[in-house]
Amino acid sequence: MDNLDNLFASPSRRDVLRWGAACAAACGLARGVRALAQQDAASTAELAGPRLAGVARHPALFWEKLPDNRVKCLLCPRGCEVADVERGYCGVRENQGGAYQTLVYGTLCSANLDPIEKKPLFHYLPGTPAFSIATAGCNLECKFCQNWQISQYRPEQVESIVTEPRKLVDACKARKCPTIAYTYSEPVVFYEYMHDTAALGREHGLGSVMISNGYIQEQPLRQLCRQLTGVKIDFKAFTEKFYQEACAGQLKFVLATLEVLKDVGIWFELVILIVPTLNDSPDEIKQMSEWVVKHLGPDVPMHFTRFHPTYRVTNLPQTPIPTLEQCRLIALDAGVHYVYAGNVPMHPGENTYCHGCKHELIRRIGYEVASNQIRDGKCPKCGTAIPGVWSQEQALAFKPREKPSAPTASQPS
Amino acid sequence: MHSRCTRRRFLAGAGALAAGTALPVGRLWAADEPTRPRSRVVVARDEALAGGKLDEHRELLEKLLNAAMQKLTGAADAATAWRQLFKPSERIGIKVNTLGLSAQPPVADAIVAGLRLAGVPAEKIVIWDRFDTELEKAGFKLNKSASGVQCRGTDTKRGGNGYQEKIESSGQIGSCFSKIVAEEIDALISVPVLKDHNLAGVTLGMKNFYGAIHNPNKYHDGNCDPYIVDVVAHRFIAKKWRLTVCDGIRGQCQGGPGAKPGFQWPFAGLLLGTDFVATDAVGADILEKQRKEKGLKSLAEDGRPPKHIATACARGFGEADLAKIERLEV
Repeated sequence: MDNLDNLFASPSRRDVLRWGAACAAACGLARGVRALAQQDAASTAELAGPRLAGVARHPALFWEKLPDNRVKCLLCPRGCEVADVERGYCGVRENQGGAYQTLVYGTLCSANLDPIEKKPLFHYLPGTPAFSIATAGCNLECKFCQNWQISQYRPEQVESIVTEPRKLVDACKARKCPTIAYTYSEPVVFYEYMHDTAALGREHGLGSVMISNGYIQEQPLRQLCRQLTGVKIDFKAFTEKFYQEACAGQLKFVLATLEVLKDVGIWFELVILIVPTLNDSPDEIKQMSEWVVKHLGPDVPMHFTRFHPTYRVTNLPQTPIPTLEQCRLIALDAGVHYVYAGNVPMHPGENTYCHGCKHELIRRIGYEVASNQIRDGKCPKCGTAIPGVWSQEQALAFKPREKPSAPTASQPS
Repeated sequence: MHSRCTRRRFLAGAGALAAGTALPVGRLWAADEPTRPRSRVVVARDEALAGGKLDEHRELLEKLLNAAMQKLTGAADAATAWRQLFKPSERIGIKVNTLGLSAQPPVADAIVAGLRLAGVPAEKIVIWDRFDTELEKAGFKLNKSASGVQCRGTDTKRGGNGYQEKIESSGQIGSCFSKIVAEEIDALISVPVLKDHNLAGVTLGMKNFYGAIHNPNKYHDGNCDPYIVDVVAHRFIAKKWRLTVCDGIRGQCQGGPGAKPGFQWPFAGLLLGTDFVATDAVGADILEKQRKEKGLKSLAEDGRPPKHIATACARGFGEADLAKIERLEV
């Protein structure tokens, strides 16, 4: 990243993934790859701090000391017990002499100006850009990860630039971008940076959205929601078997996160990547949808998105469009009000329809919003209130419902 | 390896022997064959190594290593012993362990001297681990020039990714391997440290190869089992691994892999073996005995039995039963 202007001259697969231009091109954005790339290169040049000679170090939050200089991480449900000089499962939090450190505070390996629809968040300031950033690392290992070349790598293995929260907020404001999106890899593993940047962003009128797998413990999640303005959760399947075998995780912890988000009251949407034969059974989709309606309510949007072979799942075809359509119908039948088919540009399932009168409210072409008829958060035809975040004022007005007897933060001083 | 000696294996072994290459002693014959030699592990010690800096004992260390090699191979002299395992035309990778309590440079240097006795040119030898920074911290001098013994990390600088881009699958792991082990070398020597590991129980010759993959942090559940064996079972490791030389000049029986002086003791020796399972089994036994002497719980009682050793044996990579291992002393 020393020469940012040249990054996209002949982008490698890694470059394309890193800076996100390919997706924008593939999904029909009017701008060409090079134009977008140049714009993004400019934005990253603006961010560029020193190129790292080693890993950065910053005190981690949410951990406790154990005997023999070991520590226990309390950030995500894994609860890694980490010996001195070792790292947790995420690969970005390291025990250094009995003190837990994050190695990715401000070490951005991806930075891009994306449409918010790319996250995807369809009911959050539609048609606006989100300044999207990531660091290396993830606390799951999904065999079908689209971003594995950053999520499954350690900080030393990807090029990064150091960007303090202030610099990121300034760059975002300079571009009149209302939102910072923490995305691509897994923002939970760069919690400290996300938390501080989101807090600073709020002070400067910027919203923050977390695009996450939802693998986080309750206390850090509640604390984080005081700074965020929206969340998208990758709800990968509705069986423990899938989570264990395909993601090295457990479904129950993700369900717990979703219920906390509901309790907190923050705006959130769900994305389910449909992988043929692995999580596409109609029964599973029905059970999942019914659980969503019962535990989260009918207004939480569900996006059923198309899988493309990648990483460790290269022996399966991309998801047939009829499968996505079937999933969408099942969820609608279960009572979910807003259900989308994703990664299928131009498909009518990408549009938003009023759940009261079925009037088309937002028409999308890929990540572009072709038209948006929602006025003051309502359907112009029948007046039904459409759930979502429709203005920056509304986004920044969000304050989480606090748990009455929330325990004190278990973070060392 | 517990399966029958197949025609393919017999021919491969016979062909290699005919060509003058001595294959790893414990890994050529099936375990259930009566003619199979016992897996041999040599424990070479010299109390003089316990005192002072190891740098001051380089000559002694070299002699000890060569004597151990002769004992291991049955060769009449050191050069023959080394030549039984390594050919001058081969590129040799010496995988040192520099995380926490590190393998010491004089041990690697003694191995290099042995390889040179076998006629391996210095330029065909590379001492390596994960990071340049860890190698330097452990006292190794980096050498990336075209001449002399190479010494470098897979990740030579931040963002300088030295791993293959392709994901390799082996058992339950999915990892990118270091280009050094995957593309640059023909034969491997594992140089671990005789030490404890907080999850796997011990980190010896097999666990050392967690430093060959890009994502070892993903494979620490279940006492790292079966992941350690999955890593070493991959063709980049299993087919190239010829020798383990465990640095036991100082051992550490608790608190690993980081250096914890309070749990270190001067074992003053090296462990050598061509059966990497047997060598790890003997190393684990030594650590267990030291733990007992210090009044510590056994690894099993501490919730971290070195299960991977038994798993490797069950999968046919070598012998884990101490009663079946020929343990020789120097």
